[in-house]
Amino acid sequence: MQPDTPVTTSASFRHGTTEALGAPAIAMGVTFLAFGAAVREAGLPLPWALAASLLVYGMAGQLVLLQFAAPGAPAGGVLPAALGATAANARFLPMAVAIAPWLGARRGRRWLALPFIAITPWAAAMRRLPALPAPARLSWFLGFALASWLAAAGATAAGHLLAPRLGAATRAALLFANPLYFALLMAADLRAVAARRAILAGALAAPAALVLPPAWGLLGAGLLGGTLAFLLGRSKGDEPGNRHGRG
Amino acid sequence: MAAADLALLLAALAMLVLRGAGLLVAGSLRPEHPFIAWATSVSQATLAAFVTLAVFAPAGAVASVPLPARLAGLMAGLGAYALLRGRLLPSLCVGLGALVAVRLALAG
Repeated sequence: MQPDTPVTTSASFRHGTTEALGAPAIAMGVTFLAFGAAVREAGLPLPWALAASLLVYGMAGQLVLLQFAAPGAPAGGVLPAALGATAANARFLPMAVAIAPWLGARRGRRWLALPFIAITPWAAAMRRLPALPAPARLSWFLGFALASWLAAAGATAAGHLLAPRLGAATRAALLFANPLYFALLMAADLRAVAARRAILAGALAAPAALVLPPAWGLLGAGLLGGTLAFLLGRSKGDEPGNRHGRG
Repeated sequence: MAAADLALLLAALAMLVLRGAGLLVAGSLRPEHPFIAWATSVSQATLAAFVTLAVFAPAGAVASVPLPARLAGLMAGLGAYALLRGRLLPSLCVGLGALVAVRLALAG
């Protein structure tokens, strides 16, 4: 165990919160800032923007929802908006499956993590949780996730309020912070063989997303690349413990 | 209820179902279980595809940033990450700074 490894529930919660309030909060915050501004431009109120950020809590789905649900949107409507957002965020299903075993042995308490399973907390947790003692894992995740969630809400509100001052070019640059942050996280994971294989396969499968219906493209590419990487790993006899980066 | 509110409500419920189904399906499986390994691989590949598309074929507002600026942001961020021994926040700032600088240079 590392010297700074949190061992009590409250200490691990604090560690999770502290880790979230650095690069993750900034990367996520600027993206949600841009989203808040886009919601205001679409003519929807602040409570709608906050509810979308906190309850959908997945930027791809939020953007699809906004695109189809905004008043006067071409090809808009309730069902296309809800179904499109669901398809765009369907990655939450395999992410929840993957993270569940790391959230502690008490299965009932895992449900506390339910609203927070999204890319940023998931990516950070999959790197951090395997190195923590089992009793500290859920509280670390909740600390990280709650801080990220509140940062997302604050940034959304700020974006909605500041929309008239943010130009289109600024919003576009802010939206790029999120993929850049994930690229940095993946760079750390490249040291682990299985993770490297999945990341490279996902990048190579990305063009498949361009020929699938827009809402399903990302999940389709992930299923294709991830399944091929998994099968390749099985054929090469991967060690199970070699799946995650430790960076 | 307005159409936008109803769409949001339905989408929010669907997100709970997706996340809940994942927790339920995982059940008592251990991290080493092949199904968990497959789900992890799919999630990592999805994230990699998301980043690749954001750089090379973005949709929405990011598409207005020229490709050289997006590539400069990515390469500068990764370069800083390697030089700074994995420090996320400064690397992120370097990447975004490079993106803005190249975009301004191309516009000017």
